[in-house]
Amino acid sequence: MAELPDEELCSRVAARDNHAFEALVERYQARAYRLAYSVLGTEADARDVSQDAFIKLFESAGKFGGRSLFSTWFYRIVVNLCIDHKRRHRWWSKIVPLRVSLPEGNEAGLEPVSSLPGPEAEAMRRETATALAAAFVHLSPNQRVAVLLQVQDGLSSREIAEVLSCSESTARVHIHRGLAALKKLLKKDE
Amino acid sequence: MKMDVHPQLALVPYVRGQLGQDESEEVRLHLEGCTACRAEAASLLAIWEELSARMEELPQQEWIAYRSELRRKLEARQFRRRRRRIFALMSLTAAGAAAAAMLMLVVRSPTHAVPAVEELALEQQLGSNDLGLLRNYPVVERLDLLENYDVIEHLNELSPASPREQHDSRS
Repeated sequence: MAELPDEELCSRVAARDNHAFEALVERYQARAYRLAYSVLGTEADARDVSQDAFIKLFESAGKFGGRSLFSTWFYRIVVNLCIDHKRRHRWWSKIVPLRVSLPEGNEAGLEPVSSLPGPEAEAMRRETATALAAAFVHLSPNQRVAVLLQVQDGLSSREIAEVLSCSESTARVHIHRGLAALKKLLKKDE
Repeated sequence: MKMDVHPQLALVPYVRGQLGQDESEEVRLHLEGCTACRAEAASLLAIWEELSARMEELPQQEWIAYRSELRRKLEARQFRRRRRRIFALMSLTAAGAAAAAMLMLVVRSPTHAVPAVEELALEQQLGSNDLGLLRNYPVVERLDLLENYDVIEHLNELSPASPREQHDSRS
């Protein structure tokens, strides 16, 4: 099972093969979790949302048409669930006075965590024990997702554009700016 | 063909070998003559490699616990869906049974087979009126003559009913 390609495992999951599902979970758990973490910024939310993404995968594996890579399709699920999660919890910011509401026009809910003084950003800052994680906080979520998928999975800018639902040139901008910012931030720490 | 502008956004895909043949060739030619872009490409590749090596520094989970929690969540969700499906099926069955009962009631309704009491009374009344007419049958019989204009013209000349006929019509 472990040597089968993602697409084959996904078609077996569609036929309700639990072993194939377990294999896909083991293969993608760390990557899905890191991706969710890069968007949401808290470990608990990243854990919940990445698990929800696997449940969604189990339920809708039959919808994977094979027109793109499995990883691109699955990461799109993760990113969409992250956006939904942020939207669902946005109302909280309106009734909790400690939290500053999100800027206008940020419809996708992918605002830079580092620019927010709210508890979510604070929690993320507290959790970032390592220099790399601390540097990641300073990127916009789009940059974080783009850099993460580029470095972690080696996705091309076209595939990253698919995950982020943007143009390829925009994806290239996110990758370039994200890497350039990390270069500065990590150099400063040394 | 040499690029006039610095292809900064194409540098990462270039060093990762992710550009198409034409664009890759353009960037390669540009880099041959541009020291700044060569240095930029080298530093981007270096940071890419460093990040790749340090990916594990990002927060991790206890994966065995993560998977068992996921399994529990999935089972709970499947249980809820199954229960919802059974409930929907039961509701559908109950609705179907109710609809069938209604249909039976409509089909077997007495209004189609047996006339209502009011209708019976009306029919009886009309019948008795007709019987009244029949009692004067000799008169009714003669009314047919009205259809013949020749007879109408000579109504006065008709012979009166015999006493026996009058007695019969009265009885």
